[in-house]
Amino acid sequence: MNEKRRIGYTCAYTPLALIHAAGFSPYRILPDVDCADRAGQVLHDNLCPHVKRVLDRAMAGSVPELAGAVFMNSCDAMRRLADAWAAVRRDVPAALVDLPVVVNDRTVSFFRDELERCAGILQSWGGVIMSDASIAEGVGTHNRIAERLERLRALAREGRLPGGFPALQEAYNLASTAPPEEAIARLDHIESSALAAPSGDGIPVFVFGNVLPEPEAFTLFEDAGARVVGEDLCTGSRLFARIDAAGPDPLRAIASSLLGRTACARTFDAEHPGGLAETVVTRAREFGARAVIAYTAKFCDPYIARMPAVRDALRTEGIPFLALEGDCTLRSIGQHRTRLEAFIEMMR
Amino acid sequence: MMHEFFSNLESGLSKAIDAGEASPRKIYARELARLGTRLYGGNGGVAWCGITAPFDLLNAMGVTSCFVEFVGAMLASTGVVGSFIEETDHMGYSSDACSYHRAVMGASRKGMVPEPAFLVGTTNPCSGGLAVIENLARRFGKRQYVLHIPQDQSGGNVRFLAEQLRDLSAFVAAHTGAPLDPDALRRAVSNTNEARALMAEAYEFAKAVPSPVATKDLANYGIVMALFLGTDAAVDIARAFRDEFAKRVADTKSGVPNEKVRLLWIQNRIQFKNGIDDILAREYGASVVIDELNDITWDAIDPDEPFEGIARRSISIPFNGSIANRVAHLKKLAREYRVHGAVNPCNWGCRQGTGARGLIEEGLKEIGVPVLNLEVDCIDSRKFTEGQFRTRIEAFMEMLAGRPSPWS
Repeated sequence: MNEKRRIGYTCAYTPLALIHAAGFSPYRILPDVDCADRAGQVLHDNLCPHVKRVLDRAMAGSVPELAGAVFMNSCDAMRRLADAWAAVRRDVPAALVDLPVVVNDRTVSFFRDELERCAGILQSWGGVIMSDASIAEGVGTHNRIAERLERLRALAREGRLPGGFPALQEAYNLASTAPPEEAIARLDHIESSALAAPSGDGIPVFVFGNVLPEPEAFTLFEDAGARVVGEDLCTGSRLFARIDAAGPDPLRAIASSLLGRTACARTFDAEHPGGLAETVVTRAREFGARAVIAYTAKFCDPYIARMPAVRDALRTEGIPFLALEGDCTLRSIGQHRTRLEAFIEMMR
Repeated sequence: MMHEFFSNLESGLSKAIDAGEASPRKIYARELARLGTRLYGGNGGVAWCGITAPFDLLNAMGVTSCFVEFVGAMLASTGVVGSFIEETDHMGYSSDACSYHRAVMGASRKGMVPEPAFLVGTTNPCSGGLAVIENLARRFGKRQYVLHIPQDQSGGNVRFLAEQLRDLSAFVAAHTGAPLDPDALRRAVSNTNEARALMAEAYEFAKAVPSPVATKDLANYGIVMALFLGTDAAVDIARAFRDEFAKRVADTKSGVPNEKVRLLWIQNRIQFKNGIDDILAREYGASVVIDELNDITWDAIDPDEPFEGIARRSISIPFNGSIANRVAHLKKLAREYRVHGAVNPCNWGCRQGTGARGLIEEGLKEIGVPVLNLEVDCIDSRKFTEGQFRTRIEAFMEMLAGRPSPWS
């Protein structure tokens, strides 16, 4: 098998370790490539722009050769993307992996079985037959990338990463799309250029939301006078959380790790409804942020529904909050410049 | 206020029915009024749920339960939904969200949603509905149980959901103080199966050409009947429709006089008063003879394995799983009912329902059934412009008139 064959993916809950274990290279189909707007022929106008731009890329043929695509059943839009992909890219097989919204023993077991099914599908696409050893190796590869990004994140927070958070986002994008060994080498190179002394100033802000792969977006935040001190985005830290594969059943360990990481709004604790609001407050405090910026793709129901509670919780804590929505284009991010500048100015 | 409204409605309908003016629709509406009376009765014990919650199980456990979308539909049908939707604007709820869900959240802020004893969320049909359940749980400080509905019945999926349903019954018992009575569940399953059989018979009659069904007859029927499953009322309602359609077929009486065009309605109806039904019937002899959700997609439930049977039913609902399954189901309905065209309202804000309108359109096109894609908010009447809809409908009906029937 050609070890450089890629598997496309689009969601931060994707079991990247399994894709590594199958001998493939995970390739995130980011919505950051300009191509003709054709997804509207298949999907409704009011569907997530992230999903539609991924479909635009698929329809335009602007994705590299893929051995298959793994979609997660994370939300209505992702499910529709899997349907649309199957219709417009019959040359690239696709799998939809079910994903629980709440985490308990029963749902972890269910997700574990879904991962086993996914492993079988990857094998059917030409991947290696998986064993506990190969899964452990896949987890190891994923964690080597995750650990490097964790260090880069710390450097960015300290103001010691040349280029700051825009450079960190470039590193995330690289790690999302490049073959693992290439990604690791380049991440090591980036880390080796760390500054000895911190640089940068501005109002410390915590950024959370979903899809924000454009490094220029972080440049815009900084130009407006903000200093990003932490982020929780599905194109950022959430994708590259470490996986703890300890235990007798590596698939269950992966399932548990994926469901246990900092949650997208679509995953929640049934015993603590609306807990996203408290999580955002806690993380903003942890990072020493003076303000919080939410950035979400338009039409994202999981975030739309939870945002009022987040707003209320931050108001109660006296933490200024700015909610931005976009369509995953630089143009839409740029349109927020004035609001961003006013928001930061308010805190000076 | 709401209790009084439902109470008066029930009383009025009962008088009419007792006076010999019974019709299936009145019997159905009276049961809805009774449900509303219980929900707003202030007696507690209410459970707000997702659409695919197991209402026969909840009914067997004596819980007054209802899906949250009912509130939005009710406020829309009574013409008062605007202020409740507007309330969500003040909460920071995006206007891009589904108006069913915005309406219920606005209503909860204005004290128009009774405090539940607990909530039951379901992952099917949509992310938005599940989020509303979570929000209501937070608002009322009540516990929720979340049912993960798998995408299909493969592997251990039925067992997984059945186990959750068993957990749910224990969760409910912890709130009501009364454990599940196996005999009560057996009776509920029996009622569900009887209602199912009667509904299936009614649907068979509805397929006749001309169809005994007028556009309004079965509006919201399949989805709302789920609320009554397990009860005697479900059997009564289903029997009333079955008998009425049997009579109409025997009398060769069509739902729309001189039926010319038969339509399939995709997803759910427009919930506020509008003139579309009359335009279709009076000007074009057209009738909606089948709604997407007016179908039996599940086998009768084995009383010895009720949880597995209920699980299979929940998974079988057309909104669940891949669009390929949904399109196959729509094609089946189109063939069985010999429809000339389909109407997809594309409810604004509904990612689940309208997300794949292009794929649905393509699928039905393959069997020669064109689709009229409307752009409508099925709840928010303030956005409705009848003139524009009339133009779209006129063009669609003219197009249908100019082409051969797919079934000729």
